[in-house]
Amino acid sequence: MKEKSQSNPLREGLSNKAVPQPCAVVIFGATGDLTHRKLVPALYNIAADGELPPAVAVVGFARRPKTDDEFRQEMEEATRKFSRQAVRDEIWKGFAETLYYHQSEFGDEAGYKKLAERLDKLDETSGTRGNRLFYFAASPEQFETIIENLQKAGLNKTREGSWARVILEKPFGTDLESARHLNKVVQSAFSENQTYRIDHFLGKETAQNILVLRFANAIFEPLWNADHIDHVQITAAETLGVENRAGYYEGAGALRDMVQNHLLQLLCLVAMEPPTDLGADGIRDEKVKVVRSLRPFQIDEVGSDVVRGQYAEGAIAGEQVVAYRAEKNVDPKSQTETFVALRVRIDNWRWADVPFYIRVGKRLPKSGTEISVHFKKAPQVLFNRESQALDQNVLVIRIQPDEGISLRMQAKVPGTSFRIESVKMDFHYGTSFGKASPEAYERLLLDAMSGDPTLFARRDEVEQAWKFIDTIEEAWTAKENAPKLATYPAGSWGPEEADELLARDGRAWRRL
Amino acid sequence: MPAAPETFAPGMPVEIGRIDREFKKLWAQAGSEMTRASLINLAVYSEERDSLGKNTALVSEITENHACRAIVIAADPHAEESGVEAWISAHCHVSRAGSKQICSEQLSFLLKGKSVGFLPNIVFAQLDSDLPLNLWWQEEFSPPMDPQLWAWVDRVLYDSQQWSDFGAQMSLVETAQKEARQRVVLCDLNWVRLVHVRIALAQFFDHPITHHHLDELNEVEILHAPGYRSTALLLVGWLAAQLDWENAGTRDDSLGFKKRTSEGERAIKVSLGESAGEPIGNVTVRTETAEFKVNHKSDEDLLEVWFGRKGGRHMQQVLPAGKSDPVSLVEEELRRGGPHRVYLRAVEKVRAFL
Repeated sequence: MKEKSQSNPLREGLSNKAVPQPCAVVIFGATGDLTHRKLVPALYNIAADGELPPAVAVVGFARRPKTDDEFRQEMEEATRKFSRQAVRDEIWKGFAETLYYHQSEFGDEAGYKKLAERLDKLDETSGTRGNRLFYFAASPEQFETIIENLQKAGLNKTREGSWARVILEKPFGTDLESARHLNKVVQSAFSENQTYRIDHFLGKETAQNILVLRFANAIFEPLWNADHIDHVQITAAETLGVENRAGYYEGAGALRDMVQNHLLQLLCLVAMEPPTDLGADGIRDEKVKVVRSLRPFQIDEVGSDVVRGQYAEGAIAGEQVVAYRAEKNVDPKSQTETFVALRVRIDNWRWADVPFYIRVGKRLPKSGTEISVHFKKAPQVLFNRESQALDQNVLVIRIQPDEGISLRMQAKVPGTSFRIESVKMDFHYGTSFGKASPEAYERLLLDAMSGDPTLFARRDEVEQAWKFIDTIEEAWTAKENAPKLATYPAGSWGPEEADELLARDGRAWRRL
Repeated sequence: MPAAPETFAPGMPVEIGRIDREFKKLWAQAGSEMTRASLINLAVYSEERDSLGKNTALVSEITENHACRAIVIAADPHAEESGVEAWISAHCHVSRAGSKQICSEQLSFLLKGKSVGFLPNIVFAQLDSDLPLNLWWQEEFSPPMDPQLWAWVDRVLYDSQQWSDFGAQMSLVETAQKEARQRVVLCDLNWVRLVHVRIALAQFFDHPITHHHLDELNEVEILHAPGYRSTALLLVGWLAAQLDWENAGTRDDSLGFKKRTSEGERAIKVSLGESAGEPIGNVTVRTETAEFKVNHKSDEDLLEVWFGRKGGRHMQQVLPAGKSDPVSLVEEELRRGGPHRVYLRAVEKVRAFL
């Protein structure tokens, strides 16, 4: 399992990142949505950009009977539909030859033995050199079965000089106990440095840019603390309802689906201390310190610091939409939250008494994910007298859509009087950089092939995040005094209680 | 070969002293659907007749991916009368982020006679402040190199493929670079032309198990288009610099290099051949037992790469080839950036042959 890291002198000056290595990528759940919409189009785009190593084989593993050619045909259709760049026949032809289909039940031991034989053969014919990247795009209930069978087939073991890695899609568990159990299962077969827990938010250009903004600009870091920052808001809003994910969403809800992973990851990037280096563990060590510093809720505090809501009937973009409980495959008495707002405290010196407000919701008026850092007001002297109280400076990092950064500041309105108004300095990625960014999955797949786990969640991060979230779930499911599930009309900015959460602190949610 | 560039008019004539005011007017008329964007200053200098129109067309393409303030200068140092004429224009493109048009400003100047000497003043006066200055010099360099201008330039772009005397030109550039108070990055578009071939060759040796081949290379064959010998030599210089080869002089129709190893010296034979087609049409590197090939078919933007044991199994792949027209080369350079230290080392290895 030892991985050599000697460098190739011909790469100097051509690339400043690790280079992906020859490997066989095995996708469990090859007939699923994720494979069609994201994974294979991402692999194609990597190939079209010339970044896929010459010796790569992609093996789709799923239950349905299918030939290699049928799988290639299906993947071509999906890629033509979902790829960020147009499919070129010359490139597709070569790429398609690297696609294979392996039919097996997830629980069929013999199917994995045959897979092992097939991969050995691909090492010979495609030069994949015994390197294996197992991508779990199947439903989480299957993870344990797949891992057990991989182990039985000896696919977790590698020869000298080659590697095996496993990429796990979210949700990684449903609570601390299940996450710990899953980690135990995974680590019975794969060590932590072979395990890549994917959070596609971390593959987004703007999420990575948070580190650049904070640590490559000398002007922000001296102000990035409780002395100068009043509070931070993190919002992930979407206009969509539950769509066709009710089966999963009913059991998960907004807290588990979004807060435990994506939003806490963003919070970590905003709140972490400067890492000692940009290595995988340098950054992840600092992130995990943030999660550990989150002030745990007491059961009786959950009602005052966390608001949960569910959308009722309303309108989105002028169209009438049904209530969550009236959606297909949703329990008409469902208690699943489609909206959560939290007030979070980080108990360390940097963030003492600075609240982080997090909100996430479906069927909100506008889609957008952003972080806003609200600086303290200027002292009430000179221009900032009571008669003319000034707005705060706000630094906004837009994660999606229209990725960018803006800074609100005060300026004098031209004229003889001394009127001051807020103005916005605005940077848009799309305006400044003409070339479209690669999709998050492209970056993350390349990183996994290169052995760089920086943008993947580590075991301790995941478990600490569940530990923090579990108290909230516990309070919500308590038999007595459980905080109520508020409702909000679809197309509104969530329940009134969410506004009150900030109003109690003399603050308000930022208008997106 | 690239198609002949389209020619654009340089825009609205303006008095030099009114450039800022005229730009303001232009933006006032533009309305809210248009946004001005700029990440760099891009100054383009040419002495070619009618270059303003041609370079305006090139800048229009470049600004689709690289928002900038473009300063396009056409100089006619041999004109009898001196004088300066100026124009302003904007290149607008629909942004990928939405329906807004993203616009880059262009200032164009025609300098005649002694007014060519005003070049540094004109460039300095029109820069978008705080943004890096990229100077695309489309002529051969001639002494004296203005130290004041060079001290302000962050990156100078030139194409050594067009130089008549590589040694003399490189010496001028290097001297100017040394004399400039800040570090100017030398960006040779002839070097950029090699990016995709270099990537294609490099990726053969990414896996540690293939590294031993690098120490065993004994033969290099490059087929280049007529007029692109310097491009091929830079490629050889790159291999020599990165693999610690030493120059062993020329022999008949080939260049000789040697590599010192623990067992003594190993000779590396480098042959260059000419054939119509892409600047670098074919590269083959060999060891005693293996062969690595990169082939760029004429008029195609894909490279066929091939490697395998001599007489044994081989593997093939297609990779992007990039394009060799000036816009694509400048865009590639602006996108990649970097200090180009490897380029300087490569030049050093083949300076005697260039």
